[in-house]
Amino acid sequence: MRILVLLLVALAAGCAAVAPEQPAPQQAPENAAVASLVQSARADADAGRLSSAEASLERALRIDPRNPRLWQQLAGVRLQQGDYVQAESLAARSNSWAGTDDVLRAENWRVIAEARRARGDDAGAQQALERAERYGR
Amino acid sequence: MARRAKPGRGRRLLRLALLVLALGASAYVLYLDQRVRHEFEGRRFALPAKIYARPLELHVGLRVPEADVLGELRALGYRPVAHPGDSGWYVQDGATLEISVRPFVFWDGPQPARVLRVTFGDDAVTGLADAQGAPLALARLEPLLIGGIYPTNNEDRVLVRLNQVPKTLIGELIAVEDRRFYTHWGFDPRGLARAAYSMVTGRRIEGGSTLTQQLVKNFFLSPERTLGRKLTELAMAVLLELHYSKNEILETYLNEIYLGQDRDRAIHGVGLAAQFYFGKPIEDLTQAESALLVALVKGPAFYDPFRHPKRALARRNLVLREARDQHALTDEQYQLARATDLGLNAQRAMGTSPYPAFVDLVHRQLLSDYDEADLRSEGLRIFSTLDPRAQRAAEHALADRLDAFDRDKRFGAPGLEGAVVLADSQTGELQALVGGRDARYQGFNRALDALRPVGSLLKPAIYLTALEQPARYTLATLLDDSPFTWKARGAEPWRPVNYDRRFHGAVPLQTALAHSYNVAAARLGTELGVDKVIATAHRLGIEHELPPYAATLLGAADLSPFELAQMYQTIASGGFRVPLHAIRDVTTQDGKPLKRYPLAVEQAFPAAPVYLLVAGLQDVVREGTAKSLAEWLPPELGAAGKTGTTNDQRDAWFAGFTGDRVGVVWVGYDDNRAARLLGASAALPVWGETMAALEPQPLALPPPAGIERAWIDPQTGLRADAGCAGALELPFAAGSAPQARAPCAGAAGGGSVKSWFERIFGL
Repeated sequence: MRILVLLLVALAAGCAAVAPEQPAPQQAPENAAVASLVQSARADADAGRLSSAEASLERALRIDPRNPRLWQQLAGVRLQQGDYVQAESLAARSNSWAGTDDVLRAENWRVIAEARRARGDDAGAQQALERAERYGR
Repeated sequence: MARRAKPGRGRRLLRLALLVLALGASAYVLYLDQRVRHEFEGRRFALPAKIYARPLELHVGLRVPEADVLGELRALGYRPVAHPGDSGWYVQDGATLEISVRPFVFWDGPQPARVLRVTFGDDAVTGLADAQGAPLALARLEPLLIGGIYPTNNEDRVLVRLNQVPKTLIGELIAVEDRRFYTHWGFDPRGLARAAYSMVTGRRIEGGSTLTQQLVKNFFLSPERTLGRKLTELAMAVLLELHYSKNEILETYLNEIYLGQDRDRAIHGVGLAAQFYFGKPIEDLTQAESALLVALVKGPAFYDPFRHPKRALARRNLVLREARDQHALTDEQYQLARATDLGLNAQRAMGTSPYPAFVDLVHRQLLSDYDEADLRSEGLRIFSTLDPRAQRAAEHALADRLDAFDRDKRFGAPGLEGAVVLADSQTGELQALVGGRDARYQGFNRALDALRPVGSLLKPAIYLTALEQPARYTLATLLDDSPFTWKARGAEPWRPVNYDRRFHGAVPLQTALAHSYNVAAARLGTELGVDKVIATAHRLGIEHELPPYAATLLGAADLSPFELAQMYQTIASGGFRVPLHAIRDVTTQDGKPLKRYPLAVEQAFPAAPVYLLVAGLQDVVREGTAKSLAEWLPPELGAAGKTGTTNDQRDAWFAGFTGDRVGVVWVGYDDNRAARLLGASAALPVWGETMAALEPQPLALPPPAGIERAWIDPQTGLRADAGCAGALELPFAAGSAPQARAPCAGAAGGGSVKSWFERIFGL
């Protein structure tokens, strides 16, 4: 679980475009409105206010539905909420917008692996982890 | 003793009888007393659930013309003049809009009042700042109230406390309706006598019942008029006075009283009446406005100020005069109030909702989580997904087009009907729902309940089933559009024909889809298996059972516009089905969050086949049956869609999507007459006009891994090069592009079209 939270924080940092260790995303600069919503979602998720985090991310998605990081973050929140089916679906949705961002893809496959493991699908989880490995990191 | 016994016994009997009567009467009074106390105390006014539209979220980059933001502010009742220190106003200065936003309690907490400065350029928000000019990332306006879910009698009210009600309103009410209210015991013999006298002379305006009696009448009793009922009313009024203070009775009266009718919505209580007639909170009513509400007590229909302004004005002035005579107003106040006009709110009546079709859907979706009774009484606040801009655009487009068709065709009454469903293709949020041509009419909700044959709108399910097998089918695969007979046991042989009554021979799959060739689609569908195609339709989101016959392939199945919108949503979002929904959140009356309806997605199809299908549906707009969409939307937008027309042109359909919205339009007659209208000429224009009004986003699905592009000769379905006239560049799933080169491509291989075709199909 702690790994997950760390992952989320890292993703959030990526979203807010303040993650120096990551290569600059190859997409349009973040919309300020989206960035502010992501920030408050992160604060809410850190404080365990998951449904507030979820609401902020959905607001952000209404503004920018093609942003794979938003879908990924929402997947992370669902994982924390224990909604593993949605966590996997949302990570897949994130993958569909990921373009050439393999780092993002690898992270999505890790979320999927986690969701599958939580549902007792160890073989599926293993496969997902292998996909994650293939995308690097 | 014996002599006195007789009369004594008679008297005793009488006494006994009297005692029994007295006991009976006391028992009855006791019963009434119980009832009065029980109901008065247990009584909680039923508060309808309130339904809100989505709040407009302003941020830099939002594509919205300034005029539409102004429209939203006007609909919210914002005044176009600055009122420093107050909220609910705006000032427009060229491309800059200063808005003083009202406070509002959202699902995620209260938002205080604040001033925004919004700058526009090129139909988009280019700047957003606070009053001091500091930039803001995001700001919400409060959402528009779009309706409610009312008690069965459609009673609506806004509860007020006695101390909110202006003193003059109370003074006027008492002067006119019940002068001795503060001193009587629930009834007023002098008032009754005077009422009787005034009935004879017709001079006074006071009624005979006290406020307490009026309240009892509204609260506990049916409207029949008998002596027994009158006595019960009297007894209950006295009992009410015994148990409760004058102020408690007055407060209840002010919240209960019926003061008007807004179409099917009954306006109860002074709080809602102030809003309904004057668009302001009760605290802000002037003396003249208060007097009008008091005037309405006697007969809200007879004195309806919208319909009978002269009558209402005369009655209001009478109220003012009585109030002056009773010293509730000074002479100066009276003269001033008397000189003002009615001051009515110009806002159009909305009835229970201006968007009955949408509210109907919200109601249905709520019923899966809430009791009907709670919805009608608990004052829940429902935050819906309705986008008033989108709704307005869809309503106008439908009404305008149908008016024009009826003018041209003159098929007589009843006229053409139609329905529109519009949703965010990525989040599944419904933005607009039009249930018929008169969008204000709360009747048959065609968007949800009209089950009509869907015609070619189901064809994408055939093509998607095919494209899921890339080893067998690609967009370039040649299909056979030649005469075809399908025989099934126990059914008439089925011989589909094309709309142009011709057969087109060998055509690439993409062309067959673009031109909606029936025979090619029927052959393909039967080749794949009708059951497989039906299964695809269900995976796409069709919930109704589909008849397991070949004719279903060409749309001989009755579905609602709503269901088709779900099907096209799945396609529009690259295979991720998101259940179309109309509600975001629900809170209690005072803003406590109750329930969220979270975004849920399900990957119903792998990305590649849906990507190919979308490319095909874009070609329908670029080259095929929906080419005329170019009249409304620029080709660069890459919109995708499908036309549908059923037998004898009874139903005209169009379903399609841009980068951000998916929409379905149906046009036809309720009684199933032949409309003689094509999907492309009747439904498509409504769709195009609606989308064009909403700054559509270009449609560009991200190509899934492994998608490659190749040039194809449409004559042969083989690889083309520069030498081939009319060559197409098509996307293919990894490794599925044809390797053989067309004759026009010069190089070896190929052979004639015919021989290749015969080889494949074994003809």
